Amino acid sequence: MCLGIPGKVVELRDDNGLAMGVVDFGGVRRECCLAYVQDDVALGDYVIVHVGFAITKVDEAEARRTFEVLKEMGDTAELDWITQVATDSLAMGGDA
Amino acid sequence: MKFLSEYRDADIAKALIARIKAEATRPWTLMEVCGGQTHTIVRQGLDELLDGAVEMIHGPGCPVCVTPLEQIDKALAIAARPDVIFTSFGDMLRVPGSDCDLQQIRARGGDVRIVYSPLDALALAQRTPDKEIVFFAVGFETTAPANAMAVWRARELGVRNFSVLVSHVTVPPAITAIMEAPDNRVQGFLAAGHVCAVMGWTEYEPLAEKYRIPIVVTGFEPVDILEGMLLAVRQLESGRHEVENQYVRSVRRDGTPAARTTVEKVFELGDRKWRGIGEIPMSGLRLRSEFSAYDAERKFGVADLAVDEPAECRAGDVLTGRLKPPKCGAFGTRCTPEHPLGALMVSAEGACAAYYHIGKYRTQETAGAAS
Ligand code: SF4
Repeated sequence: MCLGIPGKVVELRDDNGLAMGVVDFGGVRRECCLAYVQDDVALGDYVIVHVGFAITKVDEAEARRTFEVLKEMGDTAELDWITQVATDSLAMGGDA
Repeated sequence: MKFLSEYRDADIAKALIARIKAEATRPWTLMEVCGGQTHTIVRQGLDELLDGAVEMIHGPGCPVCVTPLEQIDKALAIAARPDVIFTSFGDMLRVPGSDCDLQQIRARGGDVRIVYSPLDALALAQRTPDKEIVFFAVGFETTAPANAMAVWRARELGVRNFSVLVSHVTVPPAITAIMEAPDNRVQGFLAAGHVCAVMGWTEYEPLAEKYRIPIVVTGFEPVDILEGMLLAVRQLESGRHEVENQYVRSVRRDGTPAARTTVEKVFELGDRKWRGIGEIPMSGLRLRSEFSAYDAERKFGVADLAVDEPAECRAGDVLTGRLKPPKCGAFGTRCTPEHPLGALMVSAEGACAAYYHIGKYRTQETAGAAS
């Protein structure tokens, strides 16, 4: 949960006053909170996401490099949670 | 160099190792305080490659590992309730409590679910009004902004069936505790780049000054870590003690101010036990009193639960650098990643698990070379 995962902001939206968006992590997409970086970040920018929250903006080269290294380290447990959660019991109307 | 040879920046890494060895006139003892860095150091064999120049002590840098036993037991007690859906980051599920872990609670019928973000838990609370949704709010400064926002939003949206079991720890008080320990050997620190991305590094400046130690904000890739070590060694060799930033690419001195502000609105500093180490004054975050309605410890009456750590686990000695994991009597026998006795064996970032896995890689490699 400590190492943030870099991803690309592909959608922006406002959820009752909270800046949210969809971030693409090397093909896995999920909704993330952009509230902490909203003044800095536009569509197409890359951000480092910690447990669903974008914390820092990075450039594309940096994002790609970090993502590759995380994959090499086998340290993408959070991506597994994302995938698991997307298909798992938390999905709307999913099983309990 | 057999581990580094697989790494694509191997040439830069080799050059950095040569530099460090050339510049160190004596062996220096540094501590990394990030589990991700521990993982890289042990996996790439960086400590062995630098033998004689730099000794790395693996610090208490993994929130899974330092979550105290009693917080795990509180989680288990809450998760076992039929009216509760207990939500957590995935890596907390296998942390052993006194009797079992969260996974076993789930096997016995408890509703325990992995979430990626605390906002997932909040959304679940909104969709499931007839259940109490509890989120296990653990972590260092990197998860605090997310957890703070979930509580903030719960209040803003008037969600009442949501609460958090807080076990947050912060890095600077741990550095103080390590430096104040009577048998401390640490002469410099690699601070975690991604923690500083949130909080900045102003809190480290008085520590570097007071204890006259270099603190280098460092990333978690092999080349980052070697660069961080080189900067620390250079400071030590020239008698300097400053906060330096190796991880320039995404860290600013003041971190991410919006995130810090929300953390400060929701949480305040409080004493916190660290598993294997004991209580460190003002080293944790707890909910401010205005948010006590979201405090799971109060809601479920577990605030007073206190338990002792199992005597056999030597996590405290490992985390303070007195003992390397393989020297623990239980290592690899009664304590393995499949059946961890202590938290350091649970997550890939725990020092004991890191050593255990590399032991496996090495055996496989030797076997491969022999055949
Ligand atoms: S090997 Fe297991 S029992 Fe020994 S210190 Fe590490 S976690 Fe504790």
